[in-house]
Amino acid sequence: MNLAETVERARGLNKHAVARLVALFEDTRASAAAERAEVLALLPEHSATVIGITGTPGAGKSSLVARLVPTMLAESDLSVAVLAVDPASHVSGGALLGDRTRTRFATGDKRAYFRSQSNAAELGGLAPTTFQVSRLLKRLFDVVLVETVGIGQSELDIRYLADHVYLVLQPLGGDEIQFLKAGIIEIPDSFILNKCDDPAAGMSYYQLRSSLSLARPFDEDQPPVYRTSARTGEGVDEVAAAMLTVTPRHTDAEREEYFFGRWVEDQWGATGRRFVADAGGAQALLGGGFDAAQGDFDADIVGWLARD
Amino acid sequence: MSTPAHELAEADRPWIIRTYAGHSSARASNELYRSNLEKGQTGLSIAFDLPTQCGYDSDDPIARPEVGKVGVPINSLDDFHVLFDGIPLEKMNTSMTINGTAMWLLALYVALARERGEDESKLQGTTQNDLIKEYLARGTYIFPPEASMRLIAEMYEYCLEAIPKWNASNICSYHLQEAGATPVQELAFALANAISLLDLLKERGKFDDEQFERAVGRISFFVNAGIRFIEEMSKMRAFGEMWDTYTADRFGVKNEKYRRFRYGVQVNSLGLTEAQPENNAWRILLEALGVTLSRNARCRALQLPAWNEAMSLPRPWDQQWSLRLQQILAYETDLLEYPDLFDGSPVIESKVNALIEEATAEIETILGMGGVIPAIETGYMKTALVRSMSERMSEINSGEKIVVGLNKWTEGLPSPLTGGDDGGIFKVDEKAAEQIIASLEQVRETRDSARAEAAIEALKAAARDGSSLMEPSIECALARVTTGEWAGALREVFGEYRPATGIEGQQLGLSGDRVEMLRERVNTLAENMGHRPRIVVGKPGLDGHSNGAEVIAVSARHVGFDVIYSGIRLSPDEIVQSAVEEGADLIGASVLSGSHIDLAKQILDGLREQGAEDDIALVMGGIIPPADAAELESMGIKRVFTPADYELMDIMEAFVEILESR
Repeated sequence: MNLAETVERARGLNKHAVARLVALFEDTRASAAAERAEVLALLPEHSATVIGITGTPGAGKSSLVARLVPTMLAESDLSVAVLAVDPASHVSGGALLGDRTRTRFATGDKRAYFRSQSNAAELGGLAPTTFQVSRLLKRLFDVVLVETVGIGQSELDIRYLADHVYLVLQPLGGDEIQFLKAGIIEIPDSFILNKCDDPAAGMSYYQLRSSLSLARPFDEDQPPVYRTSARTGEGVDEVAAAMLTVTPRHTDAEREEYFFGRWVEDQWGATGRRFVADAGGAQALLGGGFDAAQGDFDADIVGWLARD
Repeated sequence: MSTPAHELAEADRPWIIRTYAGHSSARASNELYRSNLEKGQTGLSIAFDLPTQCGYDSDDPIARPEVGKVGVPINSLDDFHVLFDGIPLEKMNTSMTINGTAMWLLALYVALARERGEDESKLQGTTQNDLIKEYLARGTYIFPPEASMRLIAEMYEYCLEAIPKWNASNICSYHLQEAGATPVQELAFALANAISLLDLLKERGKFDDEQFERAVGRISFFVNAGIRFIEEMSKMRAFGEMWDTYTADRFGVKNEKYRRFRYGVQVNSLGLTEAQPENNAWRILLEALGVTLSRNARCRALQLPAWNEAMSLPRPWDQQWSLRLQQILAYETDLLEYPDLFDGSPVIESKVNALIEEATAEIETILGMGGVIPAIETGYMKTALVRSMSERMSEINSGEKIVVGLNKWTEGLPSPLTGGDDGGIFKVDEKAAEQIIASLEQVRETRDSARAEAAIEALKAAARDGSSLMEPSIECALARVTTGEWAGALREVFGEYRPATGIEGQQLGLSGDRVEMLRERVNTLAENMGHRPRIVVGKPGLDGHSNGAEVIAVSARHVGFDVIYSGIRLSPDEIVQSAVEEGADLIGASVLSGSHIDLAKQILDGLREQGAEDDIALVMGGIIPPADAAELESMGIKRVFTPADYELMDIMEAFVEILESR
């Protein structure tokens, strides 16, 4: 099957074709960049939203996604892709991708697609290829849910990737709520207090609310705090409805600029940053498109270094 | 003149001798039971098929490949009439290996007695009904822990007065050992389970003090006995002492009779090997000694596996051979003539005390977490078991633990035992399933549908309002409600449970050149393919023995695969969808129920339908006889692994080779 045929079938949301294209967008070989550009050229732009769902392990993200997606599918005609990122072993590089076990969508529904990714032992919550795959899925599906562990080192990544970030929390003690003030509490657009059927949940809700006003002086209005139970389904409708009304926050160009910068940083570190600045910034390099900029980068920087 | 120390005033009575049996259909199983009773068996131990255990009718799509495979299918009371035809219930001690649907099977048994005009209060036997070990090891749970514990408690509350000789549940440590539990873990987890159950009965407050004391006396256990038979005997003695202590101290039981540790045994199957299978006969004998030698810690009932269990489901002859072992032990030897042989032995006493000390500490940890339910829901117990199992496998792999014929003295003459026309294995009659489905359809057509519907509604109402489900279930049975309908109604109210898999964060104690070499080959594969090789590991079908699949998942990650662990009870469609959506290179499917051919066919068909058959290779593992393995490979399965393939790194290398050769 040639690429054009695969793209055509993927547009009809054929699962096998979608999976083959995802593999292409995850492909780490240099030769894949050109094919990616080819695929994107064949896929019309499409106004999709990317939703980030983050939270510590055990907060119940996967179980919540398992409830949210069927609700979204039932409440709308939209299609939903889920990209679930799990950590890899630092020793072997392999990963156990277990979110799928907890999610388990109905079989045969083309409007739902689930893909697990390993973060390839990167420190951040996202896999190096998460952005790449989101470029593809955005052209195929209406909503792309990206589920990641924690907001970690690269907390800005998820904010640039997603149009709206939900932080899933479980009922905590007071000290832990205080701890949230530092750093991660500033990132999410909305909070979901899961396991609200837990007796500790009521107290946590009010503590979280009061911490938010202290920790986020920049908010004009307090961010929404939803209460859900993935176990009973309580509060799921409300979150699903909110997710369906999310509007794009970033343009594709903004995203590409940011993730191009991240990629340069990963590959070339400070040298790469200097080269980009010297070349007139990421925007200038991205003139020929993201894939071409990546494809040309190594040769160009080597030339630039030789000239230096 | 006092009796000499070596003499008993009266010889001990033999334990209840049982054989775990049931297959194909109610009719075929009835014939088997009657012939076993004629051979001198003294109780019935009923094996149900997986659809019955998981609450599905035989014609449910997920049930079809499993009907009649590992036990007898029961769809309605009509099947029970056939199953017990000619067997007087009042005189029979009937043990049912049934858990998620235990209340339903007990309701059917009571309904059968009522329709036959037998005295319900004289029924004797056991419903296994231990959901904790189902969550941990065996996998035939249906409902979430809280609802499951409620069903168990309601059965105790019903049985205590209505069927006083019925053991409403059987606390099982058997399956924990099969899942890798050490003797300490077996002691601790089983006793913590029993304690948590009694805590619940107390909290529900349906019993007065006198009734509660009797309820404690109804708690019975189902224990495993492995090959380290001295330690196992010590474990049985430790069980007895610890149970006596907890029932006296924690529950204030005064009557010594009600504090007695009552237990039945099935000896270990985990240690039985497919290599040189005849050796298993000796293993079974030694394991039987562990639970019979010490009079004060002797089992009440014993069932032995068959020598060829690692290869297939046993044939009637294989079961008879195991039955004869018990009869020789009980009736030919002088075992039953002596008082306890080990009382006063400083060696045994010290061993027992060490086990008690360690197990008590572990019990206190679990009770400190709030009992077994939190210990299940957080994955604490499961993680501990998966770790023990990984350690055991590592020890066998490294040769530290010797298994004769498997990792030592592996050269042997071919066994004439496997040379018969049937290759020493049992085949289920494929036609039986069709007849069962036909009679199920007939039940649905001929029953009073208004009565059946009303009974289902009453069951759901009781489930919602918290009143006892026992009588509504008996009415369902009498109204010819089916197994799938009963479980379906309660699924609607209680929901279905997905437990912690226990594999996250697991490490294998395996290292060395072999592992390093495989990691390098996996890295090379990743460079050439443009992605790390991806494998979907899961269990299609209803059998829930997840240990093998878990060890494979952990090993594959260990050598560098990205592993999508899909868990248990998956339909072939779900496995195919997982593999296709995930862009897997390989599917590893584990099947122990004997349905491997059907399931393989369905997975391959599914891959073909999706056009993914060239991208995704399928390998299978399980208890798969050689002839079936050949058939599977001719169907297009890339490799078939059986218990003979115990060396994990060999399996991993085979995975790598399959991908390298593409």
